[in-house]
Amino acid sequence: MEWMGPAMFASLIILLLIGYPVAFTLGGISMLWIAIGQLIGAPGVEWIALESMQFRVFGIIQNQNLLAIPFFTLMGTILDKSGLAEDMLETIGMLFGRTRGGIAYAVILVGAILGAITGVVAASVVSMALISIPIMLKYGYNKRLITGTIAASATLTQVIPPSLVLIVLADALRIGYPEVSVGDMYKGAFIPGFMLTGLYMLYVLALTIWRPADVPALPPEAIKYKGMALFNKTMVSAVPPIALIFVVLGTTFMGIATPTEGGAMGVVGAIILTMWKKTFNMKMLIGAVEGATRITALVCFILLGSNAFNLVFELVGGAEWLEGFFENLPGGVVGFMIVANLACFFLAFFLEFFEISFIVIPLLAPVAYSLGIDAVWFGVMISVNMQTSFMHPPFGFALFFLRGCAPPEISSNDIYVGAIPYVFLQIIGTAIVASFPILTSTVVFDWAFGTALGWLTSIGIAFGFIAAVVFASRIGDMRMARAGKNIG
Amino acid sequence: MSFFLRISKGIDWFNEWVGVAMYWLCLAMSLIAAYNAMVRWIGGIFKWQLASNTFIELQWYIFGIVFLLGASYVLKRNGHVRIDLLFGRYSPRTQSWVDVIGFFVAFLPFYGFMTYTTFHFAQKSWQTLEISPDPGGLPYYPIKTIIPIAFALLLIQGISELIKRIAHLLGNEDYAPGHFQSSREEL
Repeated sequence: MEWMGPAMFASLIILLLIGYPVAFTLGGISMLWIAIGQLIGAPGVEWIALESMQFRVFGIIQNQNLLAIPFFTLMGTILDKSGLAEDMLETIGMLFGRTRGGIAYAVILVGAILGAITGVVAASVVSMALISIPIMLKYGYNKRLITGTIAASATLTQVIPPSLVLIVLADALRIGYPEVSVGDMYKGAFIPGFMLTGLYMLYVLALTIWRPADVPALPPEAIKYKGMALFNKTMVSAVPPIALIFVVLGTTFMGIATPTEGGAMGVVGAIILTMWKKTFNMKMLIGAVEGATRITALVCFILLGSNAFNLVFELVGGAEWLEGFFENLPGGVVGFMIVANLACFFLAFFLEFFEISFIVIPLLAPVAYSLGIDAVWFGVMISVNMQTSFMHPPFGFALFFLRGCAPPEISSNDIYVGAIPYVFLQIIGTAIVASFPILTSTVVFDWAFGTALGWLTSIGIAFGFIAAVVFASRIGDMRMARAGKNIG
Repeated sequence: MSFFLRISKGIDWFNEWVGVAMYWLCLAMSLIAAYNAMVRWIGGIFKWQLASNTFIELQWYIFGIVFLLGASYVLKRNGHVRIDLLFGRYSPRTQSWVDVIGFFVAFLPFYGFMTYTTFHFAQKSWQTLEISPDPGGLPYYPIKTIIPIAFALLLIQGISELIKRIAHLLGNEDYAPGHFQSSREEL
């Protein structure tokens, strides 16, 4: 019954699109196909096979990777509900002073940091949009630059550790690669994540030279803090949350803590931080724990449904069908990577990452393993790829969200056109990760953060960047002045 | 209908409270896990044996309880993720129809089956009074009992949702499906 595998997969996509909750649809489909198998007498498709679901439920309860989900979500919801992002954006923006594009850089940086904190894409799109659109409009930024920058930096959430996506991906990949850990995924995604952040900032930098009018500097009266006052403000608003993230990630990377332990300590750290900043209250705490409980339950129930789906899919010969399909692809590893990534890219237009990681990745992982593809590289590629499709016009869901919370003076067209340059940057980023798998290996990570030379290089790059930003801003000022004279 | 709606209200009230209990458990679980981590580090520095399997097992024990029993609360809040590409454009009546048909075609068979099969799973565990193989480990049969209870609660909440949707289809606009959670919002 070779047709059953593809037919089951097709029925999944069609039935999911109807809009009944994903977790229940997955369960319903697995029951349906066992019934079909029984009716036509397909060999091995028996009700008794589904009884192993009882062990799978218990497996989910005992899964150490998934245990990290409530902790990282709770840390994120606590920090998010305490209004830390606004404070951070304002402070980092002022740190750039009168430099052109200062707020745009700040949005990208805060997006990356906030992404690291929340790890939940929609939450960061909405909060970034609500906070930064009004400020950027006020100081006269180009509307398309505003929307594109927010869409890109907020979706970056899912690539930068400790994101939920990476936890779930690491768990999904274990079907093919039993030795993959969440820590490896975090290490592997770290450098590509920051590389993308750098690419976005380079784009803003290029704009300060070519189109200085699009990226104005803060007017002098907007800089409320100067000198020591600004330093103090930075120490209070921007440094503690960044330090918390780095402590949580750092202890995980150094092997002192498991991701689960790091996440749990992060929750305690976040509570202490909000208490210290006097933003802690019961209303905030209830909102935060409610959100974390909801996300944990719904993620685990989708996983449960997809477990049932995968079980029946294998029973009706779907796994074999997929394997045969990929074996017959021309180009071996390259062919597989292209098809797998394209599949995830297009599926991400209408499925979300939970569904993709729980349903599609377990199907692809064994094939990737048999081709000898590195698990972390594969996972990071998929995650960067899905990020692109989340901000890709016209279906990218980050764009729908932006539409939902952008003020009326920003047209839908601005949102679509604004995303295009960032999609190109994303393609460049994907191409770099694809051509240099070593970027996702622990070798590069350990060199960059474990050796003196590596640290010097990282700091050097940061300072070089700052110098370039200031220099580009001067060129922009000069070009503006010259243009002004010509008009005058 | 009003009789059924009263039942639905009772179910909603009950699962709401289960949900509230779950989110405080979620906080407790985080604190227990943080305690475990601290104790492991401090113990590691001073070469003390402080970490106890009881607390380590307690953290995944509570994780299981939180997500299993939290599911019916999420359903009550209409919070299970949907693909909203089409669903968001349906009229409220069509949305109710999708939920009613989905209940009979997908929800009831799957979770009915899950309740049945995990009930036997728990029964077997009770017969041997199964206990964790690790020293200081917790007994397994209570958590395995939670599994069928959770699926049963989810089924009951499903029935409550069904009653509300049917009431809406029969013309009571108070029961129009509320704000649903799209997968896009949750991510």
